[in-house]
Amino acid sequence: MRGPGAGSGLSGERGLLEREAGADTEAAELLPFLVPGARADLQAAAAQHVLALTGSGSGRTLLAGQAALLRALAELAVAPAPAPSRDASRALVNLAADPGLHRQLLAADPELPTRLLSCVLDPQWPWAEEAAAVLANLTRELAPCAALMEKLMAAEPERLGLEQLVNALCMPSYNAAAPLHYLGPLLSNLSQQAEVRAFLLDPDRCVVQRLLPLTQYTDSSVRRGGVVGTLRNCCFEHRHHKWLLGPQVDILPFLLLPLAGPEEFSEEEMDRLPIDLQYLSPDKQREPDADIRKMLIEAIMLLTATAPGRQQIRDQGAYLILRELYNWEPEADVRMACEKLIQVLIGDEPEAGLENLLEVQVPEDVERQLQQLDQQEQLELAQELRGRSTSGT
Amino acid sequence: MESSEPDPADDTSMDAFLEKFQSQPYRGGFREDQWEEEFDKIPLFMKKAPSEIDPKEFPDLACLQSIIFDDERSPEGNFRSALNDVLAARKLKPGHLKAIVRGAMCHLELKHFAEAVSWCDEGLQIDAKEKKLLEVRAKADKLKRMEERDLRKARLKEKKEQSQNEALLQAIKARNIRLVSEAVDKDEDSASNGPIEIFLDGLSSENPCGARLSLDNQGRLSWPVVFLYPEYAQSDFISAFHEDSRFIDHLMVMFSEAPSWDSEQKYHPDNLEVYFEDEDRAELYQVSPRSTLLQVLQHPRYSVKALTPAFLVCVGSSPFSKNYLQGKRVHRFTALPWSEQPWSPSLKEDLLQLPDELALETPWLVDCVRVQ
Repeated sequence: MRGPGAGSGLSGERGLLEREAGADTEAAELLPFLVPGARADLQAAAAQHVLALTGSGSGRTLLAGQAALLRALAELAVAPAPAPSRDASRALVNLAADPGLHRQLLAADPELPTRLLSCVLDPQWPWAEEAAAVLANLTRELAPCAALMEKLMAAEPERLGLEQLVNALCMPSYNAAAPLHYLGPLLSNLSQQAEVRAFLLDPDRCVVQRLLPLTQYTDSSVRRGGVVGTLRNCCFEHRHHKWLLGPQVDILPFLLLPLAGPEEFSEEEMDRLPIDLQYLSPDKQREPDADIRKMLIEAIMLLTATAPGRQQIRDQGAYLILRELYNWEPEADVRMACEKLIQVLIGDEPEAGLENLLEVQVPEDVERQLQQLDQQEQLELAQELRGRSTSGT
Repeated sequence: MESSEPDPADDTSMDAFLEKFQSQPYRGGFREDQWEEEFDKIPLFMKKAPSEIDPKEFPDLACLQSIIFDDERSPEGNFRSALNDVLAARKLKPGHLKAIVRGAMCHLELKHFAEAVSWCDEGLQIDAKEKKLLEVRAKADKLKRMEERDLRKARLKEKKEQSQNEALLQAIKARNIRLVSEAVDKDEDSASNGPIEIFLDGLSSENPCGARLSLDNQGRLSWPVVFLYPEYAQSDFISAFHEDSRFIDHLMVMFSEAPSWDSEQKYHPDNLEVYFEDEDRAELYQVSPRSTLLQVLQHPRYSVKALTPAFLVCVGSSPFSKNYLQGKRVHRFTALPWSEQPWSPSLKEDLLQLPDELALETPWLVDCVRVQ
């Protein structure tokens, strides 16, 4: 514990140090009430107090410096009733939301991700949703994400951990007490790892196919967004594009459906559309979340990287859906993404050697030109966005 | 099993009863250790047909063979009973993969697509790479989505038809045109002027000639119309008689050449007389060929039967017509239109034409005249 500076320094600085010292003491004083074996009602009060602290940036920073306290908190989060595991979990959610604190968190309790994972996958655990949220926050950073992935992959030779996770995500009744929406963002974060994508896209299994219907999951934009993010990441694997667009997965209709509205098409246009987009009811709603709409467009854009992929997407009438979307889309950045995709679909085919746009080597001067164009576009976009009041997500 | 009936109130005899079951496996069902073998003996699940069917060894197959050409037995029945067997097998051993595979296949054949997918998912939890399950799942999922599409298509079609029919009914209502259902009893005195909505069904069906009442983009109706020629018991069918077109317009086209049945070659557009019958009173009303269909349909005594207006046509002053009209009460058309307020703009034009007619013809000014 630091004492006040001896004589020197501004009074303000001394005051700050004093305040810090006081806060440190306060935190240290909480510790005995949080450890396992402490009186249940005192534990509960202490956990509530910690939770309140995690509500502010300074509170979080303070707690991050208390390794023993973090450790106690982590243990509480997975402890059975009557331990205040819910508040402890929520405190961890807040702490994990700050990437700067990950190092301290994981240093205090290296086994935290593993234990949280067991809780998440336990169909009886009442706070599985909170545990999933902690993991979702942790895995936004590369290191914890990679570490968790390794745990998942190492669970069984058959990768039972990941499979369990996908099962839990796809089965609404997996845990009667917790809806587990945050498994969506968790999987999305994990899909940044190539090994996870390889599992999701394994043609000998049925994994990605089970995720597809969730793009229409109306009860939670968190779950929906997580699934769409996962699919978008999977679309980076251009070696799998043919399979993804083919009949065994048939990913395109599921990406287009949330973007489709109640517009009527002629018989001839209708016949060109994929089956899932034909004869949609007049009260069909588009995906309400702009970020998710953008991710869907990006996913389709990724699938246009190869020439056969582009052709397939054209043949399935994607242009019809995107045209209507463009006319309806209120958000400028989403409209821009939509416009770019439409340009790819209706534009001329690139010359020989440029068939796979993801693998193209762009010459330096062209690269510079494109960057300039991009900057210009960003500028225009920023101007347009400034001109309207948009609420941030 | 013995047929002795234990006294349910007697515990010891119940125990003895149950004990009998434990030592004597139920013969009708599957034996836990042998059920796969027995399954393979079920013709549906046999992997290869036995070269010789020994009725003692394969009683079911021999039996099936004897009824194999019985067309009335539906294949569905086979799958349903196979499914029951699978469900029974799963009760013994819920996790048995082969039963799950066969169950999924049964559901697929029975077109229970959602169940098929759900069973496959269960099976894939036991063996995530089971090839047959992956295959059945992909098939069932695709068929399920096609079924959903077909449902949406049918629903949309129904909705469209309903709104079209409502528009038609509205148009008829607005014009004050009376409709008569075909189901009206001939003995009844008055035409059934029931709620107009009961004719909604009739609007969907086409009459035997395939024509329907229709509404164009300008909100004008076109009716299927029948012209009857009582002299020769012939008829003509006009599939779409626009309500603003005049009888004479159609007659000029239809009788530009004499029809084959017109043996005396006397039916010409300028000498034809058109009538409609007021069935209630068994009276005839003459129609001016220069009136539009709408004007006639709006006549207070006109009722459209079976959504197909019908008119009688004969040659004026012909012996037949004199004979035909004799004994009937005939209302000749008056020069003045019977509706004082023109319903549509086109009516005004007709009014302007009338003065010429007055000059050319001798109108019957009296409303009711018996033709001698």
